[in-house]
Amino acid sequence: MSETTRDPDARRLATDARDRVRFEEDALALSDQVYRVARHLVGSREEAEDLMQETYARAFRSWRSFQPGTNLRAWLLRILTNLNIDRGRRQQRTPDMQPLEEGDYFLYNKLETSGDGVNDADRVVERLSQNDVVAALSDVPHDFRDVVVLVDIGDFTYADAAQILDIPIGTVMSRLHRGRRILKQAMAESAVGGEES
Amino acid sequence: MTAYDPCSHCEEMMQPYMDRVLTEAERAEAEAHLDGCSYCRKRYRFEAKLRQFVQRAVAIEPMPVELKTKLAALRTPLE
Repeated sequence: MSETTRDPDARRLATDARDRVRFEEDALALSDQVYRVARHLVGSREEAEDLMQETYARAFRSWRSFQPGTNLRAWLLRILTNLNIDRGRRQQRTPDMQPLEEGDYFLYNKLETSGDGVNDADRVVERLSQNDVVAALSDVPHDFRDVVVLVDIGDFTYADAAQILDIPIGTVMSRLHRGRRILKQAMAESAVGGEES
Repeated sequence: MTAYDPCSHCEEMMQPYMDRVLTEAERAEAEAHLDGCSYCRKRYRFEAKLRQFVQRAVAIEPMPVELKTKLAALRTPLE
């Protein structure tokens, strides 16, 4: 009896090991992209690093539940957002925040009036700094920020974001709409201050 | 009663337009308005630049190399 026919279990194990190694390599290749999203879902670099390690540990343990051919980046972020919620994020939700009246043009209008009169799009954007953006993003309440980060930073579709966060697509759309406005308001305050109040 | 304001309507459609989730008819309506309205067109250009700016601003901090090493160490050892 030859070795290959003699031991089908050994062959299965070898295939299994190969699939696992491939999965691990694919997951690690996406780690920069996953980190970029994770970094802005949580408040600090340390939290993001912890969350990344927990996420990858869990992903490597449960790699068999990933369906090859589906979106691995979305699968990893689903684990990450669930772990983030498990860490107590639910208690910090702020659904009853004050209504926001400013529209989508608010930031432009604010920056335009604060400038030197030259108002083409490039010049107006340049009145913002990287810090304005990062600080403003961390001011957006979690539920809204999650969606903004996934769609606008992670480049996920509405459907992917809905699946990752386990919420209906309509909720993704309404939170995105509101979250972007909150972000712009925060950027306006960071860049030119809230002197009108 | 509030009169119909095409610029307010355009403002409402701006983000869905940029996300490419409008219907054909809505998209054509938004584009027709943007073609003829310098006020909204200026703000549309700003919104498009702003998205790129936000993407760049948040991407400046790369993943620490040590973290990458730690993640690789979590792999199942080969037997």
